[in-house]
Amino acid sequence: MVKKLYWMIAKDLLSECRSLRVWPAMLLLGVVVAMMFAMQADLPPERLRQIVGGLLWLTIFFAGTLALDRSFAAEREDGCWKGLLCYPISPTCVYLAKLAVNVVALAALECVLIPLFALLTDVPLLAHPGPIIAVAVLGDLGLAAVGTLLSAVANTGRQSSYLLPLLVLPAVVPLVLGAAEATRLAVEYDFGPAWWRWVQLLAGFAVVFITAGIVLFEFAVEE
Amino acid sequence: MLEPVNRLWPCVAAVMVTIAIAAIFLVAPTEQTMGDAQRIVYIHVSVAWMGLAMFVVMAVTGGMYLFRRDLAWDHWSQAALEIGWLCCGLTLVTGSLWAHAAWNIWWTWDPRLTTAFVLWAMYSAALVLRSGVEDPHRRARLGAIVAIVGALDVPLVIMATRWFRGIHPKSPHMEPSMRVALLISVFCFSAFFTTLLLLRRSQLRIADMLEDIECDSCSLS
Amino acid sequence: MTASHVAIEVRRLSKRFGRRLVLDQIDLQVAAGESVVLTGPNGAGKTTLLCAMAVLVRPTSGEVLWFGEKAAGRHADRRLIGMVAHENRLYPHLTLRENLIFAARMCDVDRPQDRAELLLETVGMLAHGDRTPPVLSKGMRQRLSLARALIHDPPILLLDEPFEGLDLDAANWLTTLLQELRQRGRTLCFVLHDEARTRLLADRVLHLHQGRLMQVAVGPAAVAHWSPADQGSTVVHAA
Repeated sequence: MVKKLYWMIAKDLLSECRSLRVWPAMLLLGVVVAMMFAMQADLPPERLRQIVGGLLWLTIFFAGTLALDRSFAAEREDGCWKGLLCYPISPTCVYLAKLAVNVVALAALECVLIPLFALLTDVPLLAHPGPIIAVAVLGDLGLAAVGTLLSAVANTGRQSSYLLPLLVLPAVVPLVLGAAEATRLAVEYDFGPAWWRWVQLLAGFAVVFITAGIVLFEFAVEE
Repeated sequence: MLEPVNRLWPCVAAVMVTIAIAAIFLVAPTEQTMGDAQRIVYIHVSVAWMGLAMFVVMAVTGGMYLFRRDLAWDHWSQAALEIGWLCCGLTLVTGSLWAHAAWNIWWTWDPRLTTAFVLWAMYSAALVLRSGVEDPHRRARLGAIVAIVGALDVPLVIMATRWFRGIHPKSPHMEPSMRVALLISVFCFSAFFTTLLLLRRSQLRIADMLEDIECDSCSLS
Repeated sequence: MTASHVAIEVRRLSKRFGRRLVLDQIDLQVAAGESVVLTGPNGAGKTTLLCAMAVLVRPTSGEVLWFGEKAAGRHADRRLIGMVAHENRLYPHLTLRENLIFAARMCDVDRPQDRAELLLETVGMLAHGDRTPPVLSKGMRQRLSLARALIHDPPILLLDEPFEGLDLDAANWLTTLLQELRQRGRTLCFVLHDEARTRLLADRVLHLHQGRLMQVAVGPAAVAHWSPADQGSTVVHAA
């Protein structure tokens, strides 16, 4: 299964690198939303430190939803999705492959957005990169876990383009809250119990929804 | 078939609501600081609890559908979705009215109101999803997945919102007569909304049967 | 027939899409090495039946067995099936060679690159191996779909209107290839609309009408005299 997982991830990344259909739009949307947020959040530095985590993660969410939505939309063109289901691979393998590709997409987005927010708001997001990266990785896993499963659900109907954000946004409220607070505490170099509590919430969210995705994905893609 | 007991339920519901209103206005004393406006809390707590309970019902019956593939389970799930959406909406409205009466603000991001909002948003998303799928089994399957995801999310939402903010009174001091009124109100409104659930589920079942009859007559002709 | 001699068995299979009953209590046994053609009007459910036989759609009731074992949920056993569908199911941004290598890897084929080269040569597409599907003609994409279905040398092939959109040369080439596969003992199940090719390729002709499966012609003599006007009167039942 691991080898098949690897080749499925490689196939998706290669397709995206050649087509450049989703990632450029996702990155551009992220940059535009970040600029608009920064424009509105013209506040003193101490106030900015309190809200920059929330602004960052909302931007990641809105732009990242584009990539999540395309996880399956691209696959359904030319019947490739049914072709994939014909192979001797379990739906779990397909889910984990899509999850991994979405995590990579979100990571690419964060590589642009985190420095951009640091630049626009003058908040030292990159002063202690380790904790920020840890929060980003856990946040990406949680967002991709929920988003991949719900993208499979949303892409079966006619309303997929607007349905996915509607389904994912309420579900990721604890994730956005947790990532925002953990980012704020990391920026303030406060790694006490409060920071660890938020990190545990993010980890718990990721574990719960990766497990849920593994169990429920087969039902989501059934015909 | 149409159960004769269906005729009894609306009467039961009407009686329950009457008892609840009587308890709210006749049993509960007038609160010292907020006056009569405080009586909203008896309805607020009742509908908030039902909003959460209906989510659990929706998720459990959705799970049963995935297991048994019997649309009867989905009728329960859809009925719980609609009643739960209504209850969450009422929670937000009554919570807003109470917040204005108590703190002179129309909205506050306290944990319970935030949780109620997130629940309402999840209910709304599930309604939108269902409205776009015509095949009843596909609708049931996708609805079940969304319900289960939501149910797994609710404890995390409650935890996150509690850690994030907290000005909602955790255990407000209540006189014994207030507690009695609250318990009666919660019980009666629960019975009322359960009645609505039963009636709605019955409607969905009959609608399903009618569609089957229509389809069979189309295929025969 | 013993279980091992029955390549595909469909038992009391029904499928509804919404309220519409598409397949109604289908019973079918396809012997190993047999070549069966499904005919029927548009919208009769032929594609749905093929997809059900490949367990790509979940039946409303009934079951499908491959070589005597229940097919549902057994993903590893998908190696037994190769399918050519209406859509070409090729990734548009991968070259033909890459599409085949990916398919080979998904099917646990040893030496996937070598196998992909062999299949490209078999279907006459070696010169186009580095091109991507969107720039190719319908016939070329159909050849590659067949190559993809054959990449893991499956004992059972399901083909949904494989001759659709092919020019005369390509159609003749495909007919020859399918006859070779038949001689090599592959089990073939086609959806065909072409009268002449049906007579050439079928051991048995079945007709799908209003969700029920009718046996129209069995054996070389009957198939040779079969005509599209024959709709059959015998509902097919499992032996």
